[in-house]
Amino acid sequence: MLLDYQNTSFEVKAARPEIAVLPIGATQQCGDHLPVGSMNIILDELSRRVAQKLSGTVYLLPTMPLGTSGLHMGKPGTVALEWSTLMDVVYDLVESLVAQRIHQVAVINGLGGVTETTVRPRENYIIKTTVRQLNYDFPQLDAIWVQPFTVAGQQLEQIIESARVDLHAGELATSLLLYLAPETVKGKGVDHVPAAAQEYWDYVPFDQLCPDGVCGRPGLASAEKGEQAMQLAVRETVTYIEESFAHLATMKRRLYY
Amino acid sequence: MLDAYNTSKEIGEAAPEIAIFAIGAIEQHSVHLPLGTDWLGIADLAQRVAAELDAFLATPLPFSMSQCHGPMAGTVWLKPKTLAAVLRDVAHSLFAQGFRKVLVLNGHGGNFVLEAEIRRINLSNPDLILLMPPIFARHPDDPVIWDKGPDVHAEEAETSHQLFINPHNVKSGRVDYLPPVGREFLDYAYMGFISEHGAWGHPSYGTAEKGEKFVAFRVKLIAEWARQTFARVEDLRQARGGEA
Repeated sequence: MLLDYQNTSFEVKAARPEIAVLPIGATQQCGDHLPVGSMNIILDELSRRVAQKLSGTVYLLPTMPLGTSGLHMGKPGTVALEWSTLMDVVYDLVESLVAQRIHQVAVINGLGGVTETTVRPRENYIIKTTVRQLNYDFPQLDAIWVQPFTVAGQQLEQIIESARVDLHAGELATSLLLYLAPETVKGKGVDHVPAAAQEYWDYVPFDQLCPDGVCGRPGLASAEKGEQAMQLAVRETVTYIEESFAHLATMKRRLYY
Repeated sequence: MLDAYNTSKEIGEAAPEIAIFAIGAIEQHSVHLPLGTDWLGIADLAQRVAAELDAFLATPLPFSMSQCHGPMAGTVWLKPKTLAAVLRDVAHSLFAQGFRKVLVLNGHGGNFVLEAEIRRINLSNPDLILLMPPIFARHPDDPVIWDKGPDVHAEEAETSHQLFINPHNVKSGRVDYLPPVGREFLDYAYMGFISEHGAWGHPSYGTAEKGEKFVAFRVKLIAEWARQTFARVEDLRQARGGEA
């Protein structure tokens, strides 16, 4: 069963959700061809499907539409938070879920991709730190975070040809937008795969190495690929969430004191 | 109007003069209104005001200081310094891309940190004008729409607005209630302790027709206020800058 912001408080109270899903997106330049709200458009749909497929009663929160997009600061449409602000936002939101006795929270953090594992976020880095701190501060809480196109893993490479070099506004994001909101896609975008990019993102702005706002091959994108990628990511995200909560339920019964 | 469905290139080429940042809330709204009432309501108004002013509409923030409703199911909140930090960062982002006029539209009456942070930002950055219209402003020419009038929460005005824009998610069983205390009691106790069904006002008087009229006059009022106040503040700052 799925509850969300269109329900009344009293309906949510009666349903007693066990799990909350909180997507964290971004509002940022996305090449010349994709809307600045691309990540939020993708996560709105993805998180809804994930929440619908999870077993149990789920409370789906709206996507937090502002992330740590400082790499794109100054580009029209980019609205970025400092890491400390985003940390406080997510911390406050999850604390309020704990206060109403929702003790399983899945944070869907950005999109991720095949160049990451489940250990390190591609986007909104500080979400990892925040989730860890929340678990320490609230012993009754199981909070997890997941990047949907990272847990989609190797299978994603069979759909998105350029997945290994797809970092921003590339084949994956463009395909998803062609699938979800084709009217917002303006042109094919510019293919651009520099020799190195991600390694320098802690040191220079995004446009230093990707002047067109793209890091990948949007020219390969299609709506069909977007649909397949979405289905895969939803499936794998649901699996990751359910398996993780199951592990934690047995693990956190041990007492060390 | 430009918004997050536009590309960065489109926004840059249009170069709108004004950016709008709207703040919603996810909180209990009694038995009849959805948790997202403040968010859906302010997003609706902001879109119309952005069209009227030809502005850039930044993606509205769904969450704000809803702890006044305590842990009533579905309610989530940001604490005051968190909300202030979000506003500060948003203003910085908009300034960095060239905006010098930013309009904040506040959808939740309990966000008693915004004025303080707006003042701090304006006085520390004289090149940016950051405005927020008074939430309950009335114009002398405003049509008399209401039977009971706008009140604190989940009342005639909010109910009417939702009936106009989101009728399928307005439920039955509205409960009218006026507590025997002043609004400052929300500084002392959660809404659920003050009002059992979470409303403060007369939601039973809400209608879609009132909602439609409310939207029309509110958008006009906000747009006019914004134009006049941006101009006035610009003059005031220039006068100050001209002093030796």
